[in-house]
Amino acid sequence: MFTNVTLSLLEGFLGTLKLFSLTLLFSLPLGLVISFGSMSKNRIIKFPIRFIIWVIRGTPLMLQLLIMFYGPGIFLGINLWGSGDKGRFTAALVAFVINYACYFSEIFRGGIQSIPRGQYEAAAVLGLNKRQTFFKIVLLQVIKKIVPPISNEVITLVKDTSLARVIAFYEIIWEGERFIKSAGIIWPLFYTGVFYLIFSGLLTLLFGYIEKKLDYFR
Amino acid sequence: MKILEIHNIKKKFDDVEILKGISFSMEKGQTLSILGSSGSGKTTLLRCLNFLEIPDEGTITVNGDVLFFANTVDLRDENVRKNRRHFGMVFQQFNLFPQYTALENVVLAPKLEAKSKGEIVEIEEKGRELLRKMGLEDRMNNYPHQLSGGQQQRVAIARALALQPDILCFDEPTSALDPELTGEVLKVIKELANQHTTMIIVTHEIGFAKEVSDEIIFMDGGVIAEQGTPEQVIDNPSNERTKQFLANYLK
Ligand SMILES: Nc1ncnc2c1ncn2[C@@H]1O[C@H](COP(=O)(O)OP(=O)(O)OP(=O)(O)O)[C@@H](O)[C@H]1O
Ligand SMILES: [Mg+2]
Repeated sequence: MFTNVTLSLLEGFLGTLKLFSLTLLFSLPLGLVISFGSMSKNRIIKFPIRFIIWVIRGTPLMLQLLIMFYGPGIFLGINLWGSGDKGRFTAALVAFVINYACYFSEIFRGGIQSIPRGQYEAAAVLGLNKRQTFFKIVLLQVIKKIVPPISNEVITLVKDTSLARVIAFYEIIWEGERFIKSAGIIWPLFYTGVFYLIFSGLLTLLFGYIEKKLDYFR
Repeated sequence: MKILEIHNIKKKFDDVEILKGISFSMEKGQTLSILGSSGSGKTTLLRCLNFLEIPDEGTITVNGDVLFFANTVDLRDENVRKNRRHFGMVFQQFNLFPQYTALENVVLAPKLEAKSKGEIVEIEEKGRELLRKMGLEDRMNNYPHQLSGGQQQRVAIARALALQPDILCFDEPTSALDPELTGEVLKVIKELANQHTTMIIVTHEIGFAKEVSDEIIFMDGGVIAEQGTPEQVIDNPSNERTKQFLANYLK
């Protein structure tokens, strides 16, 4: 029984993992783009972006998932996501990517703005152009600053993936809950916690390692 | 030919005129010190020379080439980047790049322009040589946070020298240092003066300015109040404001 449960939970965890990794893959670069937008000198870019960030950070992710999934059908009368599991996954992924990109963008913005002006000025008087200044001088200092908050967000994401079940996205808790109905046992549901713990433990180790790697400068 | 001529430089911030028409020139190999009370515009002047600020009016001419002619310059222009290279800048707060060692700080900019492996080897050798001259032989591979303020400032001087600027500018190079560390930095600058490096030094170290300078400018309220040899400006000032400033300083 235990082995059976473990195997099906692992299968559910694959769904969790898929949503987790694809969310990171898309939201990190999108977050960087949004952060540049939110720092833009052009008001026509800056204010709409800051507005979107405010809306996304100011409302529950669960609500965003529901609106993302049902919204196109209800408001626009189109079946944007197609049908079946694939549609649910796509809708969940898009909602997660937008949500996390906004959070990441604020972390990036904080990191970029925390670099002292003197660093840019020193680079400028040494004749570095904008590109060189960003990649050679600013980037690594920003990465060092943002690793701890990014690490927090990423570990939150591990757990947030479980929210996707409100639109019936198949993931590990869904799988664990299934055993209540099918076999009348509840412990598989609790057992899912172990998977989360191990995974977030691994991520904590990974981020700790990165932080340590960047410890050589201040 | 004069190495540097600046004519009628004016600069406003938020409608307040900070530089009200600064003109002076200097010869190659000279050391020029700029004295003046807080807020008189000394930093702003150096920042204009390094194109960190754009003057509203005036011209900057180096070796006979007009680098800056007001209203014809865009800071984003590639030309500005080239023009900056005539000047080196040593900041009060050092502004070393924390993720690079002392040597990497020094060779970073020259290496970006290197075209061959051989050139890179040469640049690194020259970087080590510069750090040796700064008395940092055994500190080359340390990161800035492992160095004292005086050592960091000497790395910053080496970094500026590595690009062989025509004119090296210092903005209060020892103001951020503990008193016992100012000596080592002043000594290095004095050494550069002896080797006829063309320098503009903004400083509050009047004794030092008198010792190293060929010429001294006293700034007050955005204008040059007095200019001359150290003997003229420091020992026999004729301007009332200079007298006051020096009297306050001696107290
Ligand atoms: N970016 C800026 N925006 C607005 N005002 C500025 C700016 N930079 C300088 N100022 C003002 O210009 C005046 C001159 O400043 P500056 O830094 O050039 O003086 P300073 O002679 O270097 O003084 P100190 O000896 O304190 O360094 C000050 O009143 C300062 O407040
Ligand atoms: Mg100043």
